[in-house]
Amino acid sequence: MTEAAKNIIAGTLQPNGRRRVVAAAAVLFVGTTLLLLSILAWTDLTHMLGGRQEQQGQSSYVVIGKQVTEQSMGREPASFSAQEIKDIAHAPQVQDVGAIVPARFPVYATIGGRLAMATDLPVAAVPDRFIDSLPDRWNWQPGDRALPVILSSQFLDIYNYVFAPGQRLPQLSRTSVRAVALRLQAGHENPLVLSAYVAGFSDRINSLLVPMSFIEYGNDAFAGGGQNTTSQLILRVNDPSDGAFNTYLQQHGYTTDPQNLRWSRMRTIVQAVASATGVFALLLMGISTLVFMLFAELTVARSQASLVLLRQLGYSAAVLRRAILMRFLPMAATAMALSVVVCCGIQVGIAHIIGESGLHLPMVPGWQYWAAFATSSLLLWLLLARAVRRAIR
Amino acid sequence: MQLSLHHIVPHHLRERLANQPSDVWGKELVLQGGAVFVQAPSGAGKTTLMHILYGLRTDHDGTLQWDALQPSKTDDATLSRLRATDVSIVFQDLRLFPALTAWENIAVKMHLATAATEQDVLQWMQRLGIYHKKDAPAATLSYGEQQRVAIVRALVQPFKWLLLDEPFSHLDSANRQQAIALVADVVRQRNAGMILADLDENNYFPYQQTLRL
Repeated sequence: MTEAAKNIIAGTLQPNGRRRVVAAAAVLFVGTTLLLLSILAWTDLTHMLGGRQEQQGQSSYVVIGKQVTEQSMGREPASFSAQEIKDIAHAPQVQDVGAIVPARFPVYATIGGRLAMATDLPVAAVPDRFIDSLPDRWNWQPGDRALPVILSSQFLDIYNYVFAPGQRLPQLSRTSVRAVALRLQAGHENPLVLSAYVAGFSDRINSLLVPMSFIEYGNDAFAGGGQNTTSQLILRVNDPSDGAFNTYLQQHGYTTDPQNLRWSRMRTIVQAVASATGVFALLLMGISTLVFMLFAELTVARSQASLVLLRQLGYSAAVLRRAILMRFLPMAATAMALSVVVCCGIQVGIAHIIGESGLHLPMVPGWQYWAAFATSSLLLWLLLARAVRRAIR
Repeated sequence: MQLSLHHIVPHHLRERLANQPSDVWGKELVLQGGAVFVQAPSGAGKTTLMHILYGLRTDHDGTLQWDALQPSKTDDATLSRLRATDVSIVFQDLRLFPALTAWENIAVKMHLATAATEQDVLQWMQRLGIYHKKDAPAATLSYGEQQRVAIVRALVQPFKWLLLDEPFSHLDSANRQQAIALVADVVRQRNAGMILADLDENNYFPYQQTLRL
């Protein structure tokens, strides 16, 4: 159909008042904008709350153990069975599982010089892939006199801020700790005496880490061999605040950093609020679609006499339906395109403001935004086409 | 195109027609072409017949055929196409779009299918004395002027049959003669048939057949 023909057909239809046209377009604009804004709010919140680690492009490490209860006290230390470890490997968010193997023999350390102290130490080993930054020479073989150890950062903090001031001892930097010579004694009878040195620090595990080969040797030599127990596990997880992950831990009675649980609860609440906003926006979008359809139906109804005459003159229903739909297309497209532009602008503004706080939000809305826009546009068009089809049979 | 009427009786005229002789209602009638005059007094169903022939009304007994095709059983797209290319009509009540100009009312048909150039149409409007009104909204034209616009609108499209329902009822003698001459010229050019329905006998065209309702 030529442009002139379209104009002539348009001329036969009853014109809508300018106010009515503007009102219909405005309602559609508001509905679409609210829908898109709610999608943006949801995706942005999800991005910020769930993306704590993703933002740095790395996973999180979580140490879990079994809850110590009144009933379990006095028994053998609770440990994870092979089946439990296998199940945890398939838990939500879990990417990798490593056993924290404790020493089943006593380890006694002595420090000479100005520090002059002696203490029993909690020593454990984890698979190398779970260590924050693996030291260059992280190995030990029977016969070696030197043993590399990794000190928990928290141990150093406790020493520097709690222990040293009370004992009038000097505070130590990480570099100076690396220079401290430790005399380490493993086992009671025929103890193995080694010279240990701090090869690195760990933020993940609150134990003194040693190479796995040392623990295996010591457990065998000083604790009578047997199966190593696993009292704690270290998990590499995608998102430690994920609700499903925390629910899994709670259901199985595993303990972990309570911060994760609090974060998870907060995220659940915020997501619930965002979802509720989304439902409200969806309702508004539905109402605005309905209003726009009623506007279209009213337009067709007002032009019914002209449409009947056009059909009598030889215009088919299909041609007229197309002409009517094309009449609404620019108005609907303009309103919805304006919504997209406004919401994209708002996203850029929010990303800028959030960026100043050191957090990252994408400037361009995610696929959910575009999917919602495409779906709502398609739905509006289908409903409109259906309404026009019913009006012009 | 052959128009065939097989025992057509409009539902609303059934009782009245029971005791009234007619050349059309309830008869087997085949129109091959040429000029046909349908004469009847008011209320005898002239407009009903024209609407049935044009495929607008289906509330009747019997069947109508355009060649082998029954308009009442034809899909919308085909029926619309045939109305744009094979059968044209001047409605008794004219049925113009009041908001459109005289020219736009004619262009409504030209955009569908046209057998006349814009130049032809302007000449026709000149012949009928409505050229100067071509940009005036139809609502502002006199009934006689509107009748002439409706005639030109019916002539611009290609057709095999032209249906005229009291087409000159509001024209004075001079304008009527111009309109008759124009219609005759175009029908002859198209080698089409025409059916004219009117109240009284007339000799507007050299009719090959006269039917009384």
